[in-house]
Amino acid sequence: MRYFNLFSDILITKGVNRILISDLQRNYSELQSLELNNIIEELKSNSIEDVFALYDQESKEMLQEYLNFLVEKEYGFITENSWDENFPPLQTDFSDSSTISNIFIETADLMFSPQLVQSIENLGIRHLVIYCESKLSLMDFLTLEDTFNDSCLESIEIFSLYHEDVNDDFVKKLDEKCLRIYSLIFHKCDNAAFEVTDTFKFNLVFTDQHLKINSCGKVDLKYFETNMLKVLEAINHNSCLHKKIGIDINGNIKNCPAMCNSFGNINTTTLEEAILHEDFKKYWNLTKSGIQICKDCEFRNICTDCRAFTEQTHKNNDGLDISKPLKCGYNPYTSQWEEWSLNPLKQKAIQSYSMQQLNYDA
Amino acid sequence: MILIISKKQETTTNEVIKWLLAMGKKFIRVQEDEVFEIKTKEKRIYIESDRNCFYLDEISSVWYRRGGLKFKNFHYDNHSVNIHMQEHQHWLHDYVIKTLESKKHINKQSNSAVNKLFVLEQAKKTGLDVPEYYLAENTCDVVLDKTIIKPLTGNITIDAYQNYGESIMYTHVIDRQEEDSFFITFFQEKIEKDFEIRSFYLNGRFFSTAIISQNDERTKTDFRKYNLEKPNRNVRYNLPIEIERKTRQLMELLDINCGSIDFIKSEEKFYFLEVNTVGQFLGVSSMCNYGAEKAIAEYL
Repeated sequence: MRYFNLFSDILITKGVNRILISDLQRNYSELQSLELNNIIEELKSNSIEDVFALYDQESKEMLQEYLNFLVEKEYGFITENSWDENFPPLQTDFSDSSTISNIFIETADLMFSPQLVQSIENLGIRHLVIYCESKLSLMDFLTLEDTFNDSCLESIEIFSLYHEDVNDDFVKKLDEKCLRIYSLIFHKCDNAAFEVTDTFKFNLVFTDQHLKINSCGKVDLKYFETNMLKVLEAINHNSCLHKKIGIDINGNIKNCPAMCNSFGNINTTTLEEAILHEDFKKYWNLTKSGIQICKDCEFRNICTDCRAFTEQTHKNNDGLDISKPLKCGYNPYTSQWEEWSLNPLKQKAIQSYSMQQLNYDA
Repeated sequence: MILIISKKQETTTNEVIKWLLAMGKKFIRVQEDEVFEIKTKEKRIYIESDRNCFYLDEISSVWYRRGGLKFKNFHYDNHSVNIHMQEHQHWLHDYVIKTLESKKHINKQSNSAVNKLFVLEQAKKTGLDVPEYYLAENTCDVVLDKTIIKPLTGNITIDAYQNYGESIMYTHVIDRQEEDSFFITFFQEKIEKDFEIRSFYLNGRFFSTAIISQNDERTKTDFRKYNLEKPNRNVRYNLPIEIERKTRQLMELLDINCGSIDFIKSEEKFYFLEVNTVGQFLGVSSMCNYGAEKAIAEYL
């Protein structure tokens, strides 16, 4: 007798009509049928021969094709006599040494107070995202890099307004001097000064769109990422807000700059104090399985979620908004993607966020 | 207070330190460019460098990762005095190292570098299967295509050789005879593998990973020749209890309580290959969600 063993780093997420197979090692997900899922389930408790015996002649061919597919994709392997019990399942607990892992700052300049820099260090923050509506000089960027020279911060992503000083030379100097910047997005750029090649340490983007804070929160296939840590975090926590902190343009400390609730102002409150507020972590453990509609969706373990903009249809007993993200056009019951902003059922929520002027296609 | 002996910008050390900070455990990190002087104050011994200064009795546990504690050595003009003072200083340095190593620790400066040949001999004594090996200066006894060579050194890289920045000496299968003799070289029987197993070992515990590379020609003899398009599958694995018992015995014989241990699984057999005390293990550990860095921080 032969037995099929599914590798422990292959995660199958069952939706209403389909499954998503996520290969957590090769950082890749693909959609497959429920039929394949049934076969995988049967192979967990029966030998390959016994599973074949369950099917009629015609279906046996299909079964063989599925089995070949699983082996060719290296989703699993076949053993003789029994399953190989020395391969234990993946433990799906999530642990991260940081108190806060990501900070999103909406700011007019790149000058950070020593107190804020110290707080970033104290909380063990690894990733910084800056959204800036003004034009930044080369000096501004270099000062920022210098600010975090001796810190535990690992990466910096910056969205800033394009201006004509941003040329080849400007970017080359940044590339020479900066270690932590891994992504640079210059927005509202009608005519980039040069062709972007793939030769810099960081990812460089010029976009003609005028990005806004409320451009965030779109749920789409192109933002989904299959990655062991992200998936483990999503299984255990809220993938949008867990270990995240934001500071809006007025200095208000929030879960995310696009949300309303403030936990104090950065001029009078430290980040350490703000996260002690009883409501600061209230969304951290809301997983996708606790969110309406999403709980039935095959993408729930790789989804980015969004708690800032939702359809505003459901609240749970603790007062948490458990509605589907507003900017998600996917319907797991029909397996169809549609343009979210045109959905008549979402118009009320869209108006309540006063997003009429939103750019829809970032 | 935890003492960490490591090198600058050493990733594993950095990751463990993040956990120590999160756990609120105090630590001192010593780097390779520090030289210590031994001093006393109120009958207590302390050691001091440009960056660090601490009493020996403050230290509760020690993690020896890489590098080592170095001491200032004073020389004296008078020959006789100098001979005496050299020995005098030797015993003081020796005392500091021995005192630190007698505390709760992860590996020791004095024996962390392992001799691959000696380790293989000890492994055989504990009853582990070891592929046949020998040293030779020519290829007369080599069975072609069934024998591999690999470096005896701990460091498997060569710097600036033949215009390459850094080269890695991979395990290599011998496919032809050499006419000339050469410097004494390590030969080993090539084992047809089902897959490789790398176990991160910490004070008796095993965190094992099966590295499945057999489907790929590139990684057949050495999984470190990564295939970036289709990476090896690294998944959790439990070694048989008997293999763990023998390996634990080996680690006790070698007096090493932390390291990466390599095996080859070939049908029913598990062949022991080597122990590496200084290698990077976090990549393999994180792919299995083992959290080895957290386990180290908890132990210290």
